[in-house]
Amino acid sequence: MEKKSCFLCVTLLALALAAPAHAAKTVKIGLLYPLSGNAAAAGKSAVQAIEVGADIVNNAHPELKGIPLAATAGLPRLGGAKIVLDVADHQGNPSIGQSQTLRLITQDKVVALLGAYQSNVAFAATAVSERYGIPFVVGDSVAANITGRGFKWVFRTTPIASDFGRNYMEFLGDMKKAGRKADTIAIVNENTDYGTSVAQSLIEQAKKAGIKVVAQIPYNANSTDVTAQVLQLKAKNPDVVIFVSYTSDAILYMKTMKNLDYMPSMIIGDDSGFSDPSFIPAVGPIAQGVMNRSAWAIGKPGSNTYKINAMFKKKTGRDLDDTSGRSMEAFLVLADAINRAGSTAPKKIRAALRATDLKPSQLMMGYHGVKFDKTGQNILAATYLVQLQGKEYKAVWPSKSAVAKLEWPMKGWKK
Amino acid sequence: MRWRPFALAAALLVYPLLFRGAFYQDMGALVLIQATSASAWNIVGGYAGQVSVGHAVFFGAGAYLPVLFYELWQLPLFVGVPAGIAVSLAFAFIIGLPTFRLRGHYFSMATIAVAELVRLIVSNSGFLGGAIGLMGPARPRGWWDLVFRSAVPYYYIFLAVLGLVLLATWQMERSRFGYYLRAIRADERAAKSLGVPVSRYKLYAFMLSAAFTAAAGSLYIIKTGFIDPESGFGILVSVQMIIIAALGGAGTLLGPLLGAILLVPLQTATNTWFGGGATGLTYIFYGGIIMLIARFEPGGLIELWRLRIAPLLLRRRGDAHAP
Repeated sequence: MEKKSCFLCVTLLALALAAPAHAAKTVKIGLLYPLSGNAAAAGKSAVQAIEVGADIVNNAHPELKGIPLAATAGLPRLGGAKIVLDVADHQGNPSIGQSQTLRLITQDKVVALLGAYQSNVAFAATAVSERYGIPFVVGDSVAANITGRGFKWVFRTTPIASDFGRNYMEFLGDMKKAGRKADTIAIVNENTDYGTSVAQSLIEQAKKAGIKVVAQIPYNANSTDVTAQVLQLKAKNPDVVIFVSYTSDAILYMKTMKNLDYMPSMIIGDDSGFSDPSFIPAVGPIAQGVMNRSAWAIGKPGSNTYKINAMFKKKTGRDLDDTSGRSMEAFLVLADAINRAGSTAPKKIRAALRATDLKPSQLMMGYHGVKFDKTGQNILAATYLVQLQGKEYKAVWPSKSAVAKLEWPMKGWKK
Repeated sequence: MRWRPFALAAALLVYPLLFRGAFYQDMGALVLIQATSASAWNIVGGYAGQVSVGHAVFFGAGAYLPVLFYELWQLPLFVGVPAGIAVSLAFAFIIGLPTFRLRGHYFSMATIAVAELVRLIVSNSGFLGGAIGLMGPARPRGWWDLVFRSAVPYYYIFLAVLGLVLLATWQMERSRFGYYLRAIRADERAAKSLGVPVSRYKLYAFMLSAAFTAAAGSLYIIKTGFIDPESGFGILVSVQMIIIAALGGAGTLLGPLLGAILLVPLQTATNTWFGGGATGLTYIFYGGIIMLIARFEPGGLIELWRLRIAPLLLRRRGDAHAP
C-alpha cells in the first residue's frame, strides 16, 4: 500500500507544480470551452475568435474605429496591462466544467470567466463562479434560465431563444403590415435541448404577437426520412415554417420538400443547420429565399466587421461565423468592463459590467447595444434576419441594416 | 498485510487536510464519487462476472430523484436519496429478471439497450427537464440544502458512503453470498449443478449493486447541483465505472478505489496540462488502458501486483539476502 500512496503523492505533486506562476502586468481571463467531444469544432472556433479579440485589445488597432480598446495597446486604465487567456477544456461535461472552473479560479487566479458553448455546462459552471464571486460572462449559451436564477455574477451578452422568437415575430408583423400573408406558422424542431427550448420560446412569442401556431412537429435529428413530417406540414398548410434543425436534417428537409413539391410562402431556419458551411453547397440551388438568423454580418469592405473577419480569416482560413462571433463580442465586452473597473478586483469588475452601456457602433455583432438587466441578461441583444439569395445569405431585415431586398414568397427550386 | 487497508483509510482521511487547495479537495471528492460507483458496479460486474454496461440507469435514477423532489416540492436534495435508491432497486428487479436469462456479451448488450432507452425516455419527458436537465437549489436556503463552497464537507460525506459500500462488499466477500458469486463467475453451469441458486443470487447482486450505484448518483447531484440526460444516463457514465474497476482490479475489494485514485487525477491532469493543445487525450488514455488491460492483465493492477510485481520484488529481496 505504501507504494500506492507514494504514487499518489507524486501524481499530486506533479499537478501542484503544473499550476503556472502569476506574472505581473497581465490580466488573466479563463475560457471554458469544449475542445474535445462532439462540440469540439465549435469550441475551438470560439477560442480562436477570442484570441483574435485578445489581439485587438492587446495591440493597437486604430483601424477599428469605435470598438472599445482597439486603438490602444493593452488596458489603458490598468497601465497598459495585457490580457492573457487561460483555456480549459470541459469536454461538454457539466461535472468537468465545474472542476475546471474551480481550477481556473483557485489555482490560476483568473479574474473573470468566459464560456461555455453548451448550456448544460454553463448551468453547472456558473454555480461555481457564483460561490467564489468571480464574474462569468456567457457569450453563446442560449438556454433561458442560465440568467434569472438570482445569480449576481453571471452576465450574458448573447440574444437568447426568446429574443430570436421576438425578432421573428416582429419580422412577421412587418410582413403583415406590408400586406403579405403571414398569419399562421408551423414549428419543426429537433427533439433535444436546443430544439425543444427554442420551440417553447417561439410558441410563447407567437402567442404574444397574435400569430397562430398551426403545428409543432418535433423530430429526431438523426432520422433518415422526414416524409411524414413534410406531409403533415402540407396538410396544415401554414404561411411560414420555422425550422429548428441541425445540419443533415435541415438538408434532408429541403430535399424532401422538393420531392413532395411542398413550399410555404417562407421558411425561416434558426441558425445551426442552416448556417452550417455544408448547407449552401448541398441544397443552395433548391432553397433559394430561405431565411436564417445571424447577429453577425461580414459587412462592406472597409467596415469594422469586414476588417475583423479578415483578421480571423488570416488566422484560421475561414470566415467568422455567428456563434464564434458572439463569443468574441462577449470577450470584448468583458475586456471593456475590466478596463473601466481600473482594477482586477472581481467586485469592481462586476460593478463595471453592471454599468456597461455600449452602443451599436461600438459592437461587432448586430445587437442593439449591450446593457444588462438585474438578472445579468443583455436587454439589447438582437439578431438580423438574412436570406439565401444566390450562393450567400444577405441581410434583409431589419431594413436599416439590410444589404439586399427581401424576396417574398421564397422561390425555392422554382426559377 | 493487514495494516495496508488501514493506511489507505488514514491517507484518505487526512488527504483534504494535507492538500488545502480547493481544486485538489474538489478532485478528491470526485475521486470518491467515481470510486463509489465503480465499487458498486464491482459487486455484479466484478465478483459475479456479469458485465453490465447499463449501470448509468441506476446512477441517473439516484441523481434525478432528489432533484425531481426539489423541482416538485422544493425538498432538500438529501430527502430524495432514499427514493432514488428505491427506484433503482425496482429498476434492477425489472431489468434483471429478463436480462439475466442472457449470458456474456448478450447480457452486456441488453443492458446497453436498456440504458439508452431510459436516456431517450428521460430526454423526452418534460417533467424531468427533458433534454435540458434539472437544477438543484442554486443558492442554499440553509445548511440542509448541502450547498458548500468548500469541497471538504462533500469529501467527508462521500468518504463515509464509500466506506459503507466497501464494508458491505467486504462482508459479502467473506460470506456464502460472495462465494456463490465467485462460483457463478467461474462457471455458471458448474455452480448451478452444485446447487447454487444462480438466477436468484445474480439478481440479489444486481440489486445490491444498483442501490449503491444510485447512492453514488445522489452524491453526484448533491455536489454538482445539475443533471442532464447525458451526464446521468449517458453510456460514458457506465463505461467510466467499468474502466475504473477494470484498471484497479474488477472482483477485488480495493481495485475500484485504486482505479479511481489513478484515473480521475489523470483525467483532470490531461485537461490541465493540455487545456488548449492536445485535446481529447483523455479518450486516447481510456482506449489505451482498455486495450492494455484486456491484452495483458484482465485482473487489473491489483492482480498485476499480486502475480507479477510482488513475486519479482520478493525474489530480488531473496537474492539480496543470499550469501
